[in-house]
This record gives sequence, C-alpha cells and structure tokens, in this order.
Amino acid sequence: MQVGQEPPRTEEWAVRAENLRHSYDRRHFALDGVSFSIRRGEVFGLLGRNGAGKSTLIKAMTTLIQPTSGELRVLGFDPSRDGRRVRERIGVVQQAESFDFTTVQGNLDVYGMLWGIPKAERERRREQLLTRFDLGEIRRRRAFDISGGQKRRVQVAREFMHDMEILFLDEPTVGLDVIMRRTLLDSVRAEVRRGLTVVFTTHNLEEADYLCDRVAVIDEGKLLALDSVENLKQLYGGKKTIDLTVADSDPSGFFRALGAELAGSATLTVAGHAAVLLTDDTKAALSAIVTLARTHAVQLDWLNVRKNTLEDVFLHSVGHGGEGHEGP
Amino acid sequence: MKVPNILRLVYRNIVVNTDPGSLVILLGLPAMYLVFFGFGFQSLASGNRGPSYLDFLTPGIMAFQAVMAGTVGGSILWADRRWGMLSQLLVGPFTRLQYLLGIMLTAMMFGLGGAMVMLAVAYLLVGTAPIGLVALAIILASITVGSIFFGALMLLLAALVKSNTAYNSIQILLIFVVNFASTVFYPLSSGLPLVLQALFRANPLTYVSDAVRGAYSGTLNATDLYQMLVLGVETVVVLVLAVRAYLRADVSYE
Repeated sequence: MQVGQEPPRTEEWAVRAENLRHSYDRRHFALDGVSFSIRRGEVFGLLGRNGAGKSTLIKAMTTLIQPTSGELRVLGFDPSRDGRRVRERIGVVQQAESFDFTTVQGNLDVYGMLWGIPKAERERRREQLLTRFDLGEIRRRRAFDISGGQKRRVQVAREFMHDMEILFLDEPTVGLDVIMRRTLLDSVRAEVRRGLTVVFTTHNLEEADYLCDRVAVIDEGKLLALDSVENLKQLYGGKKTIDLTVADSDPSGFFRALGAELAGSATLTVAGHAAVLLTDDTKAALSAIVTLARTHAVQLDWLNVRKNTLEDVFLHSVGHGGEGHEGP
Repeated sequence: MKVPNILRLVYRNIVVNTDPGSLVILLGLPAMYLVFFGFGFQSLASGNRGPSYLDFLTPGIMAFQAVMAGTVGGSILWADRRWGMLSQLLVGPFTRLQYLLGIMLTAMMFGLGGAMVMLAVAYLLVGTAPIGLVALAIILASITVGSIFFGALMLLLAALVKSNTAYNSIQILLIFVVNFASTVFYPLSSGLPLVLQALFRANPLTYVSDAVRGAYSGTLNATDLYQMLVLGVETVVVLVLAVRAYLRADVSYE
C-alpha cells in the first residue's frame, strides 16, 4: 500500500516513512532506506550513535530538509510539499541552543506570540510552565546568561507554549540533573496521556526505557531494530548478559578462543579488557569462560550474570561494544 | 482576530532586537552626524553664499537611514542564524519567505522611523524649515525603496558569509564606501577623481540621497526620478539574489 493515501485527519499514523534515503553529498547516505511508522499518541524513541542519522531523520520529519528519495508522511502530509501544514501541527526542541536576546519569560512570551496564542492564555501558560520547570527564580534573567541545564529547561518549556500534535525532542535532557530530567520526562508523559505523539532521540537508554513505547535503533543511516522496549529486550529469547573483565595485558587470544567456543550459541562483544556476552545458555557460557581462562592462564577480574537491558539491545543491534568487536 | 504571520515576525524582530541602548545608537548616530558634521562643516563654509550646509546635509542623513535600516535587516538574519533561532522559527508555523519578508518589513520600519526622527531633529535642533505632505511622501517612498535595497544587500551578505568576523568587517567596509562615495555629505563634483565620480554615480545611496534632497528642497527633477527608477530595478535584482541565497543557505542545526 502506498504511504499517505488516507485522508490526513483520519490518518492513524502520526508518521510514516517508506524507504527513506537522504544524501548530503550525493556519495554517502545519511539515511539509507529507512522505513517505519509512528502511531498517534505514541512515544517513539530514536536510538543511535553520533552521526547515525537520527538528526537527519528529525530534520526530514520537521521539514528542514527534503529527503533525496522515498516516501514520508507526517500527520498525513508530505513535508516536502505541505511543509507549512506540518509545521503548524508540530513542536520541535532542537539539540542546539536557540534563544532570543531577551529574558527567560520574554522568550516564552515571544514564542507564544509567534504561535498566535492570545495574550491572556499566553500569560497563563507562561506562569504554569515557569513553575512546572522550576524557572521562576530566573524568569527575569537573560536566556543567554543562565546555565546549560537551565537553558535546556527553557527550551523545552518554551515548546509547551503552543498546542501541537507531535513533539520532536532531540536529546532534550542533555545537561539536566537527575531530578529535572525526571520532571521533564514526567511532563512529557503527562502530555502523552492527553494524546500528544512524541518522537524522542537520546543517548540515555534508561530514559528511552522509562519513556518510550517503541524504539528504533539506527546506525549508519539504516534501521537496525524497531519494536517495543520489552519486545526488544526479549529479542534474543530468554537470553542473559554476562559481563566479564580480565586482568591480563593481552587477553585477545582468550577472547578469540571464547568466541570460537561459543559460536552459534552466544554473541560476544569485546572492548579492551572487558567483554559482554549475550547467551541463552549461561551454564555452558560460564563453563567455557572458566575452562578457557584456565587454559590461557587468564585471570578473571569481574564476572557478572544479569538480565538484558535496553543498552544490551542497542549494543548488539549496532554491533559495536567499543574498539574491538568479535562476533561468535 | 488572527494577526498575520509576517506581522507577528515583525513584532518579534522589534521586541527582541531593540533594547533601549542599541535603539539610541541606531537612531542617534545619524543625528550625531547631523549635529557634528552639520555644525562643523557649516563653520568652514560660513563665508559662502547660498543654501546652508545643514540644509544640504539634513536630507542626506535622512537618506542614510536607508543604509542603517539595511544593517538592521542583515543583523537580524545573522543573529538568528548564529543563535539558532532561524532553524527554530523555520520549524514553526512560518514559511521561509514570510520570515524574510518579516525582516525586510522590520528594516523598512527602522528606515522610516529613523528618517522621521531625523526630520524632527533637524527641525528642533538645526531649525530647518518644515516640509509639505507631498515632499514627505516622496521622501518616505525613496527611503522605503532604499531600505529594501540595502536590507536585501545585507541579507545577501548574511546568507553567504559564515564567519562573524568576516560579516562584521564586510559590513563596516560596505557602510563606509556606500556612505562616503555618495551625495549624502557632499555633492558630486567634477573636481573629484573619475573613479570616485563613477563610484558616486553607481552608488544606490546617491539615488536615494538625491531624491530625498530634491523633495526636501523642492528641486526634484527628471534625473532624480530616473535614478529612483534605476534603484527600483536594482532593488528587485538584489532582492531576488538575496532570496535565492537565503533559501539555499543551511539553516539546520546539529
């Protein structure tokens, strides 16, 4: 079925992308055949390393760039052709700072005015947001003079000055302390309960776990995994993760032998002296580790068996634990 | 009643870009030119007969407001790009063209506002004669076209130049050349070197200045009107170039 055939207002999907490709230099693809859908009222997480293609994807969805090829619909509209209709219905918190040369409350006021919010309503929302994001004490300070975490809060609060159907949050919690981070995530959750769709990029996988209904793992412009957080954690069946660290100066022989021994039954990701092993047969894996450690005269520093986290899913999807990668 | 997007952008440009200090400098600088240059050169020419230098300079400085207005337009685009607001506004409910028109309109308002201030300063401080409504309309129309021309020129600069230092340096150089190779401060004389004469004649500020002066002193002639026609065409060309450069400029964030 062709994307976007449905009338916009009855569109079940907030975003639909099919075989989306984008190149900045006509040689490399920042997005390379990405297809996905985001349901209305869903919190959708985009996970990926720096340069993976997350920001390019956000730019395409928010009309800042036109994809080189593929189909994209946001709220039923084609962002390349109906950019204004899309923009009137979305909110965007950018990764980079963006402020007007005025006070914190001035930034909220001006932004509300730009979105056509009537004065009385603007003032009501401003006061509510200044309180919710703990900005009351710095309301009269210039936005450029406040700390990094405070700036982030102002940027997020500012976006709630207007109504929207989809909120794009590009790494919104960078620089925030634990309490403020939770406040922000809870604010987003509250808005989601009122029907807001959220597209959220982050490096913090705990946040994605806490907030997102579904996450997409993206790397080198390709979509590697897309499912609910729980399903992704179950992606490897009932597998568990074994973390191990060795004390030897050159453990490469040991890790090579371990990879070969567990080939087919486990996934091994090595970073220097540490390794992460994903397996559904912990007994066999532990036995192999101990046996091979003895054979290679390697001293084990740390050995831990635990349940999978979203971080494991991410690392295994991307296929890199760090500098050295050895598959089974 | 819903306020049009462009007017909301103009209001925002004025609110966030005009603190009292910069407003005083923006409007006060041309007034200072009028006072210092006016009285200074007036004393040099005190022995001469004919119209006073202040009468000559006042309309010139009013025309100069078009250049000042242009710098306002360029600065707004530059600052918005530098501080991330350009991409933030462009993911808002505006089109790129609306944003650009908002800047042009803001620049124009600064040009016209500045010209009115100059008129008041000239009347109150220097004691120049008040002008009629038709003359005022011609003056404001000339300054409007000039503001759009210089606004578009500065937008072109802001869209093309990536470095803050380069932008400021080129802007200062442009203002200097445009200002002093025009008929704002002195008339085009045959005694000037030929290169300077050519520069005077090619300088759009000369056209604005001559038209404003003609209307101000009641000596508007066919040449002034022809020059304004040329300026109109030049304005369209620079505006098209500025819009194209701006639409192609990278506004995205990383």
